[in-house]
Amino acid sequence: MSRMRLAWALLPFVGVLELGGQVWASRRAPRMEEYAVLADPIRDLEREGDVVVVAPRWAEPLVRRALGDDLMPLADVARSDVTHYRRAIEISILGERSTEVSAFVEREVRDVGRFRVRVLENPKPEHVFYDFADHVRPPEAKVFGTDPPVECGFSTKTEVLAGGLGGHPTFPAARFLCPGGEFFNVGPTVIADEKFLPRRCIWSHPFQRGQIVTRFGGVPLGDRIVGHTGMYWIIERNLAGAPIDLEVAVDGDVVGHVTHRDGDGWSRFEMPLGAHAHATAAEVEFRVSSPNYADRHFCFQADSR
Amino acid sequence: MSATPPRSRSRVDAAVFGALALGYTVLLEKTAKAVGYARDEGFYFQAAESYEKWFRLLLTDRHRALTPEVTDGYWSVNHEHPALIKSLFALSNLAFSPKHHAVGALYFEQEGTSFRFPAMVLAGLLIGAVYLFATRRFGRAAGLVSALGLGFMPAFFHHAHLACFDAPIVAMFAFTAFAYVKTLETKGIGWPLLTGLLFGLALDTKHNAWFLPIAGAAHFVATLASAAWLRAPVLASIKRSFAALLSMALLGPLVLYALWPWIWHDTTARLQEYVQFHLNHEYYNMEFLGENYWKPPMPRGYAWFMTLATVPTVTLLLGLSGLGRRIYAAGRALVSRDASALPTLREDLFLGLCLSASYAAWLSTGTPIFGGTKHWMQAYPFLAVFGGAAFVGATSALGEIVARRWPSITSRPNVVALASSALVLVAPIAETWGAHPWGLAAYVPLVGGNPGAATLGLNRSFWGYATASVAGYLNRNAKKGARIYLHDTAWQSWQMLLEDGTLRPDLVAVASADQADYVLYHHELHMLGQDYQAWVALGTVAPVAIEGPDGVPVIWVYARSPGAQKSRSESD
Repeated sequence: MSRMRLAWALLPFVGVLELGGQVWASRRAPRMEEYAVLADPIRDLEREGDVVVVAPRWAEPLVRRALGDDLMPLADVARSDVTHYRRAIEISILGERSTEVSAFVEREVRDVGRFRVRVLENPKPEHVFYDFADHVRPPEAKVFGTDPPVECGFSTKTEVLAGGLGGHPTFPAARFLCPGGEFFNVGPTVIADEKFLPRRCIWSHPFQRGQIVTRFGGVPLGDRIVGHTGMYWIIERNLAGAPIDLEVAVDGDVVGHVTHRDGDGWSRFEMPLGAHAHATAAEVEFRVSSPNYADRHFCFQADSR
Repeated sequence: MSATPPRSRSRVDAAVFGALALGYTVLLEKTAKAVGYARDEGFYFQAAESYEKWFRLLLTDRHRALTPEVTDGYWSVNHEHPALIKSLFALSNLAFSPKHHAVGALYFEQEGTSFRFPAMVLAGLLIGAVYLFATRRFGRAAGLVSALGLGFMPAFFHHAHLACFDAPIVAMFAFTAFAYVKTLETKGIGWPLLTGLLFGLALDTKHNAWFLPIAGAAHFVATLASAAWLRAPVLASIKRSFAALLSMALLGPLVLYALWPWIWHDTTARLQEYVQFHLNHEYYNMEFLGENYWKPPMPRGYAWFMTLATVPTVTLLLGLSGLGRRIYAAGRALVSRDASALPTLREDLFLGLCLSASYAAWLSTGTPIFGGTKHWMQAYPFLAVFGGAAFVGATSALGEIVARRWPSITSRPNVVALASSALVLVAPIAETWGAHPWGLAAYVPLVGGNPGAATLGLNRSFWGYATASVAGYLNRNAKKGARIYLHDTAWQSWQMLLEDGTLRPDLVAVASADQADYVLYHHELHMLGQDYQAWVALGTVAPVAIEGPDGVPVIWVYARSPGAQKSRSESD
């Protein structure tokens, strides 16, 4: 019998192989209810300064459900990066690894049910003195416009506004409200960046004229301000908007300035503080403006390290 | 091969056709409840309800129903798609609605199924037709393998449940192509007329039908060239193709016009609008290998990779092997200038052209990819028929081995065919069953199954159809009058879930997460902003319910955390 005839004869047996493959494929990932086994071991492992990461990322909602908001708070899940975490607890299935913490050093590995849990140590964690998104409220923060001069009042009971399908990020109940409409407000929210990753940031839509200024008082500083600028990607990707300027001032001195252009995506900046470094109670201003304020769903994240 | 008289053979085949058509339709109907209503179904329910009112008016006041303003009033709804299938949805609901007639409740448990039913019937008829078509060339076992190979493609099985046009156009496209082929091998005007009629119905189903004349014209030219090369009578070889094409050209537009009241007035402008809508279709988002595509250039490998990732591998391998086998046979005939091979050559050629034409659009990086596999799904019946050709080759070779080793078995010739059929069908059946009701998230073991596809970054869902999968959670846990943000589920689809009793009638749909007690999130990469809206609005990142196949999340639900504030307009 020729090899070709033999190949034809073997063709139906591909179905048997595929059936085996189907049994394997349908069982290779943990069932959804199996994730419950993670809660206690992760609670035992978790220390302050840790972040839980999941590989592959598609399993993260299942881990969030199992661990809850205590072990996976919004600020960690919608992190800007992992540079300031001392350790990462990586929960892995299917042999996948998180590239985000690839520079961390493995300290412990254990199997929990069908999950591999690794404790990974950051070799150079950066100490954060102050995360501005945690303090967008009086008395630490104040928001105002410059042209015309306007004050933006704060309330913890403002109407929550979510944009719905294709709409803007959610404006939380606790936010500063400025004149001119619902988009002119300042408060912490979460946007989807160019990879549709969640980024917690301070919403700061520029005014038609002048700057919208968020001023923080009594800020303990490190030697620099590190942050990111971005917009909800569905808006930014149209590449149709004007650039947005973010100016940062410490005790009245401008320490840095970045321009966010459509297409930049979630972009990191660093501003050395020079003579203001290590001040224990500085006044820090974030001044946002744009030559054309249309659809400028600007959001920034910043901390002092 | 068989000593059975032809009439008896045709009775058996008719019985098998009936059993397949009926069996597949019943299977779809019995499994429909689990498949939530897709976004577009909601729009087609709305359109069908409007058309249904017009049909009622036509019965009671014909003159008024036929006036332009009244016709337009009813038929303007969803006029970007032709009317046939929505009209069938309307008539089916008119006849079988469990809400309106006690008799309807005898047939269908759910109101939505009475709309979906015509698509299921067409899918059933297609399975039967593929059997008949493949059987006449390759025998019954191959016919069964072809028919069931198509029926147990998870994507086709999923779409065949829906009150949409995707399974119906697969059926209409194949019916027209099969009638065209029958025209080639028969005399008289019956088959050409049927080809034209079916083409008109296909035109009135969905714009995928536009590929049929392209395949037909290419076939006409290729047949002419082949006949000339093989020194066969050229005119005799092409006259039947010409008859079918002429009939398509004459009857097709007439049928489209007759069955689409929207184009009865202002015909040219409205047809232009229809054509322009589809030629310049908006680009929706689609994830492929971890990237979100929303504008050209689209990935050139999309259609090929997605076919590989979603069609059961053994079915695909059979189809491609069969195609290769027929190409090889055609090549040999052409090289040896064997004019006697012309009839089979031109049939294979047409089937191959129908298959190729269905994929051709995705050679361009300008063609949208948002519909996943459904936009080239009309190629699959032809793939299944070619699979029959491969099955013949496989069973013949296997039979040879068996005859040498176990001669007693081959004294019963059906044993090898039956065993081979089981071997090639068991995996597709297992995959389709395992994928239900997550047909849009169904991936074959070759790419690691559903978990592998999720890791690769392949789309898991679109159309927000998965709400029915979390209905049980909402019914059990939501307080009376709870407000639900539907995300991508269309309002009309939600209404149908309420009418069906799938959801508790007191649950209230709201337009954004800030007004909601529960937020549904149907996962698509570009939709993740909706997930994050829920986090801030409800004060939690932890879903309370998650559903999906094989441990892969497709839909999840958030509940308002106790401290989170609802929007004022809803909480007052």
